[in-house]
Amino acid sequence: MSIKLQSNRTILLAFGSAILVLIAVGLFSYRGVVESRSSAGLVEHTRDVLREFRQLSLAVETMSSSLRGYIISGDETYLEAMRTAEAAMNRERTVVRDMTKDNPEQQRRIAALDVLVVEWEQLSDRIVAMRRDSGLEATIVAFQDARGELINKSFQALRAEMIAAEISLLSVRSLEKEQDVEQTKLILIAGTLLGLLITGGAGWSVQRDSASRARTELALRESEDKFRRLIDGVRDHAIYMIGPLGEIRSWNPGAETITGWTFAEVSGQNYSRFFTADDIENGRPAELLRRAAANGHYEDRGTRVRKNGEQFAAQATLTASHDAEGKLRGFTVISRDLSEGKESEARYRGLMEAAPDAMVVVNQSGEIVLLNVQAEKQFGYHRDALLGQKVTSIIPQGFAERLIADDLRSAEDALAQQIGTGIELTALRKDGTEFPIEIMLSPLASAEGILVTAAIRDISVRNAAEKHLAQMEERYRGLLEAAPDAMVVVNQGGEIVLLNVQAENQFGYRRDELLGQMVTNIIPVGFAERLVADDLRSEEDALAQQIGTGIELIALRKDGSEFPIEIMLSPLDSAEGTLVTAAIRNISVRKAADQHMAQMEERYRGLLEAAPDAMVVVNDAGEIVLLNLQAGKQFGYRRDELLGQKVKNIIPEGFEERLIADDLRSEEDALAQQIGTGIELIARRKDGSEFPIELMLSPLENVEGTLVTAAIRNITARKQAAEQLLKKVDELYRSNEELGQFANIASHDLQEPLRMVASYTQLLSRRYKGKLDSDADEFIAFAVDGASRMQRLIQDLLTYSRVGTKGTEMVETSSEEAFQQAIMQLQGAITESGALVTHEPLPMVMADETQLTQLFQNLVGNAIKYQAPGVPKVHVSATSNGDKKWKFVVKDNGLGIDAQYFERIFGMFQRLHKREEYAGTGIGLAICKKIVERHGGSISVESQLGHGSAFGFDLASVSRDT
Amino acid sequence: MSTRKATSMDVLLVEDSAGDVRLTQEAFRNSNLNIRFHVAVDGTEAMAFLSRTGAYADAPRPDLILLDLNLPKMDGREVLARIKANDSLKLIPTVILTTSDAEDDIIFSYQLQANCYLTKPVHLDAFDGLVKSISEFWLNTVKLPQQSHFRKS
Repeated sequence: MSIKLQSNRTILLAFGSAILVLIAVGLFSYRGVVESRSSAGLVEHTRDVLREFRQLSLAVETMSSSLRGYIISGDETYLEAMRTAEAAMNRERTVVRDMTKDNPEQQRRIAALDVLVVEWEQLSDRIVAMRRDSGLEATIVAFQDARGELINKSFQALRAEMIAAEISLLSVRSLEKEQDVEQTKLILIAGTLLGLLITGGAGWSVQRDSASRARTELALRESEDKFRRLIDGVRDHAIYMIGPLGEIRSWNPGAETITGWTFAEVSGQNYSRFFTADDIENGRPAELLRRAAANGHYEDRGTRVRKNGEQFAAQATLTASHDAEGKLRGFTVISRDLSEGKESEARYRGLMEAAPDAMVVVNQSGEIVLLNVQAEKQFGYHRDALLGQKVTSIIPQGFAERLIADDLRSAEDALAQQIGTGIELTALRKDGTEFPIEIMLSPLASAEGILVTAAIRDISVRNAAEKHLAQMEERYRGLLEAAPDAMVVVNQGGEIVLLNVQAENQFGYRRDELLGQMVTNIIPVGFAERLVADDLRSEEDALAQQIGTGIELIALRKDGSEFPIEIMLSPLDSAEGTLVTAAIRNISVRKAADQHMAQMEERYRGLLEAAPDAMVVVNDAGEIVLLNLQAGKQFGYRRDELLGQKVKNIIPEGFEERLIADDLRSEEDALAQQIGTGIELIARRKDGSEFPIELMLSPLENVEGTLVTAAIRNITARKQAAEQLLKKVDELYRSNEELGQFANIASHDLQEPLRMVASYTQLLSRRYKGKLDSDADEFIAFAVDGASRMQRLIQDLLTYSRVGTKGTEMVETSSEEAFQQAIMQLQGAITESGALVTHEPLPMVMADETQLTQLFQNLVGNAIKYQAPGVPKVHVSATSNGDKKWKFVVKDNGLGIDAQYFERIFGMFQRLHKREEYAGTGIGLAICKKIVERHGGSISVESQLGHGSAFGFDLASVSRDT
Repeated sequence: MSTRKATSMDVLLVEDSAGDVRLTQEAFRNSNLNIRFHVAVDGTEAMAFLSRTGAYADAPRPDLILLDLNLPKMDGREVLARIKANDSLKLIPTVILTTSDAEDDIIFSYQLQANCYLTKPVHLDAFDGLVKSISEFWLNTVKLPQQSHFRKS
């Protein structure tokens, strides 16, 4: 209560002060505002004054300018203006005077101004008069009188002073105004902050108070609870509170136990009902109260009555309790059942109450006669709600049935309870929810017969845990089954406790055949031993498993066959101790592959040794890792001298570089090796001498990386041979050249003297024919003839030799065109003989056009020349033989040739006819032959005497890939 | 067709072979024109003749030059080059008359601006015919610059 008051006060105080502060702030602000407004007003005012000053100055100026105007012009209108300005000035003067009433300085100045004004008026009057009377000249003189100027100057000075004063006043006032505004702002802010602070503080303090109050209340409630629990915990004493007149206000289990009444039944009723009829008659209950009230407490022994009417001896202590004001609030009654037998029951009850599990005592009819607070909690019922209820309402099945049986516990149940797991049933809460329980039953002899005590434990958590565990096991089992390797789980005793389907397959057993078996039945050696060892894995094994190769062992199938395996072990903690999971992999394939590999290596090694060439195997660091006998011999080293050496030492250049290159073989090298010539390099022997070699490389993959096998062939001999060949060819070429030149020169130089001879003999013939004797004519004729023939021979020889020397490159040539050219050249002969020359389409060939033309010319010319009677016919055709050559045929219907001469006719200067019969030196066909052979073909003839001839030759067709 | 008067024409034959010289002369004799024949047996003589130096101070300016290529001392090719390098001499038609039918010689000659290139035929009749053609063509058919232009001043 006082707390509340105090806090109230605090609140009041706090809020009160906050409000005060706010009001103060408000007032200050208001004042500030007012002040600032007034200062603003002052500023305005000063501005106004300045404005008026300006007006004043303006008026004055107008006055003086008007006067000047009048003086100069004499125009009365100026005077008018001046009067008007004067009036304005006077008005202004008054205004300004009024406005600066508060400023004595200004007032003084205005007074001075007044004086000046008077002077001015006097002066102006005089001047005006003078003007009117004396005219301009005089007036000017007068006006230039210093007086006028002085007045003006004074006025200016005064005006300046006044303005300056007002301006400074203005700035001061402005500043004041600013300051006021600032001040107001500051006050406003500070005040607000203060207000907030106070409010905040008040609020916080209130909050704190209420919190502490709440705490206090909580503490109070807790202590009340504690108290209650205490009371409730007492089972052998009735502890209850009654009002001043004895009305029962509280109860406890003890009271319930002793009297048999529930609180519901006795609440509000007078406690006298526990007294015997006699006591009640005698007014004992009330007397006890009186005594207790008087003395504070009272002890009494007497007889009390239980619910069932049974009387019992009881000892009761009454303690009076008062409230804060001393008024009697009521009594606390503590009474004890003094009757025997109740002691142990009470004790029993006490134990039951104290039990951590829910305890329920059930009679033979299945009714709950006793329960503890845990039971209340578990099932969500109030004690009196359950007492007398059938136990089936909380344990629908399993409990009641067991009561009926004569033997309260069956053998299994007895066993179950022995091993501490009890009977699992389902219980039903008041709210209808079910939960799994485990009950332990034990009989209890009592006055009312055999009762059954049931300790009830809520096992929902345990069930959940078990379910989770089961799930995990399932999952594990699933993984195990799905594993591609055979998986076997072995316990410390070496027995197989778990395996998967793969294990079944691998070992050829059924699952149940292996479960429980010793693992040595399937892995005779190596597994079980490892289990026994404290360290499940030795260092090597641990390492092996680290590098993923596991432990290699031999496994035994059901049918007795063995196969190599690799096992990977891992421990697995379980309820039954440390188990070992083994992943078992059948490595027979791998082993076979390894073996095969080893075999291949052996074989390879064998081949290497036996090879006729030097063989060297080099790793990618350029070191020789393997070599054969030949290699040693070739290079003059012992085998061990070369092993490990850099291959550079025997092949200084070209080999190592090719190793470094990603592509082991460049295109050229690849090509070279394709055509079987390899890479040509220089090798060096141990003695330093060098020799040319041919290298054939091929890569070799193995565990250690890429090795390169090199077959090294000493090609000294070959190279020498090649060089020889080249030399020979060179010589031949040169000699050929010479020959050609020789022929050329010879023919050419022979021409000259020959021409002389021929020409002069002809001249002789011309000049002296018929002038000498007939012998002379004949001699001359022969000489001429001889010379002519010689000339022709030499010409032909020259032509022949030129086929070789003057020949040009073979290019794509149209044989059709060459043919036409030849025909043109032969036109004369064709026309003369009336020959019919036909041809089929002729192809493109690789040829020297000039020579081809010559060829056609010779052949067709021959065909016409050696004609048979009738119309000479010549036909030229060409056929392809695949895609490399064209076979040309020049067929005629001429004389034909005797077979025995087929060869001879192609010889030089070979003729089959007398000179007189047919002209020609006999070199035509030799030239044809030479031309054809130069074109890489061959020429031949088919003929029959009297049936014409067919000359055939072949030329290379134009290559398709160009 | 020709405005040629019946004045004689001068032909310079540069030829080292006496036989050939005689043959050529004979051949020209068969043509009908009034031709005065001059012979130089080597390049040097030819140049002396053409430049009218030394012994040849009074030599006439030829209307046609027949030039063999293979000459002793100064070679015919050089003579050709010199002739065609000389502003005056180059106006004289220079016909190469040689035994060579080498393509190189032909090209070379035309490059040096020989007026034409002829190979001496092997046979006499052909030779005669050739000479006839030459004289007919170069001395009768073609227009030649007037001699009066080249009078020494």
